[in-house]
Amino acid sequence: MQNVNTHLHKTVVYSIICLMLVPILATFIYSISSRWGATILPDGFTLDWYIKLLTDPRFLQAFGRSLFICIAALLLSVALVLPAIFVVFYYFPKLDKLMNMLILLPFAVPPVVSSVGLLQLYADSEISLVGTPWILIGTYFTIALPFMYRAIANSFEAINLHDLMDAAYLLGASTTKAFMLIILPNLKKGLMASLFLSFSFLLGEFVFANILVGTRYETLQIYLYNMRQTSGHFTSALVMTYFLFIFLLTWLASRFSRGIQ
Amino acid sequence: MSYVTANNLTKRFGDNTVFEDIHFSIEQGEFITLLGPSGCGKSTLLRSLAGLNPVDDGEIWVNNQNITHQVPQERGIGMVFQSYALFPNMTVESNIAFGLKMKKLATQEVQQAVAKVIELVDLKGKEKQYPHQLSGGQRQRVALARALVVKPRILLLDEPLSALDAKIRKHLRQQIRDIQKEMNLTTVFVTHDQEEAMIMSDRIFLMNKGEIVQTGSPEAIYTHPANEFVAGFMGHYNLVEANRAKQLFNIDCQSKVAIRPESIYVKEQGRQYGRHISAPQTGTIKNHQLLGNVIRYQVNVQGCELTVDLLNRSSERLLANGSQLDLLFNLNEIQPVRA
Repeated sequence: MQNVNTHLHKTVVYSIICLMLVPILATFIYSISSRWGATILPDGFTLDWYIKLLTDPRFLQAFGRSLFICIAALLLSVALVLPAIFVVFYYFPKLDKLMNMLILLPFAVPPVVSSVGLLQLYADSEISLVGTPWILIGTYFTIALPFMYRAIANSFEAINLHDLMDAAYLLGASTTKAFMLIILPNLKKGLMASLFLSFSFLLGEFVFANILVGTRYETLQIYLYNMRQTSGHFTSALVMTYFLFIFLLTWLASRFSRGIQ
Repeated sequence: MSYVTANNLTKRFGDNTVFEDIHFSIEQGEFITLLGPSGCGKSTLLRSLAGLNPVDDGEIWVNNQNITHQVPQERGIGMVFQSYALFPNMTVESNIAFGLKMKKLATQEVQQAVAKVIELVDLKGKEKQYPHQLSGGQRQRVALARALVVKPRILLLDEPLSALDAKIRKHLRQQIRDIQKEMNLTTVFVTHDQEEAMIMSDRIFLMNKGEIVQTGSPEAIYTHPANEFVAGFMGHYNLVEANRAKQLFNIDCQSKVAIRPESIYVKEQGRQYGRHISAPQTGTIKNHQLLGNVIRYQVNVQGCELTVDLLNRSSERLLANGSQLDLLFNLNEIQPVRA
């Protein structure tokens, strides 16, 4: 009876996996086919679309811009969130509940609404931010906040923060030295997992990128959107490259998360 | 002036007073145990000595130096935590060397000191291992070595044996005591285990509800409890109401009296007893426990429940519940205790 049940469960799970893989496989085959029109199978296979994509200066520029925005936003997150969590956990542990509510705020407002709000807020500002990467970096910081906070907070909970700090103090270390030499190395895995996860999420973010910056600072998402009218094979190669990159980041994030456990 | 002196120490967390008006002095090289039930303030007092929980009032002097307002880094105090607090990202060697590196000692000097202390705590061969690869006892010894290597003026031990199994515990408490004597290290040890306190200490500071209720040698505290709490906490003293004491032992007393279970004898035919072993009574066994070398009886004597400990010398000593016992009491060891 148990065997039958296991088989049934496996069949359901594998069927769903296969179903979900169909569009990815189809896109991949389309991206390596020279022509796939009225026939069941492609006329031939080629890597031309990938070569064309990877040698397109506009793609490389967009990719570079996306990398710059995501990395800058994440560096800003690390610089602000890491000390903030340390202060919360070491000095004001009761604030953790408040922080858990605060970090959910970016999800409370739909991106379309908050991006329109940001546009209104900064449209009349003396410093011109709309249409520049800086507004996107600031916005992405808020989006990354929940991922960063939770993952790093979990790492803090996993170590005996107070005793480690106290032991370091008694051995002559200052707060900065204790944090840099003892606490930070023990947060490395949680920090890396949250960084990769946030990175892959931010790289695929479209609504804020389109409304706040659009073509004025073409990022990878906007590039993909703008290329939708060109050859389907080319955009398929673009989507697959995008997918593989995000898949790699997510895999790295999960590896680091496993390390924490 | 003593090596360590504490005057009027008070510590509050908000409205909660953890301890108030604490006084004590410790001589150099003494092994002191802060003993008391959970929540009595002993760990907070220890942390206050270390500077981790600054006191709200009072002064702490070490070697004629007022350290009350010094930060932990400046106090020259070593501490072993209940959780050991080993740095998980560092090897045994690096953990131990940490304090010396903070003092910016030369690499060679650090290596020599670390090697010496590793040998002292019997951890040779474990230098390159990480804390998660060690057993509880080994971790405890790394924590001890890390505290010892910086040559602290006082060593503080916050229930360092509580997470270990009985066999390792026995071994390590002896090892700690040997090292402490060898280094003539002034040590303050926190525990709630009275047996551990009795075995290890030169003097015990017995705490209850934020107060030191009695100080003295283990023997003095065990044989002369200052009050009911001490009598109840140290061993299994029988506490007998004043009117019962008059009835059973013919003692006139305003307060309760205390008598230890081993000061009550079961009368053996043909054996001569001293004049002070008297007040014969007959009791009925209500319950008994075999504790290995000791058999503990709960005996009802004229409506008064008494605990009687007998050495388990032969199977004849193991009597069934309901049996009658002829008891004698060591009158010299019956003492009045304050409430």
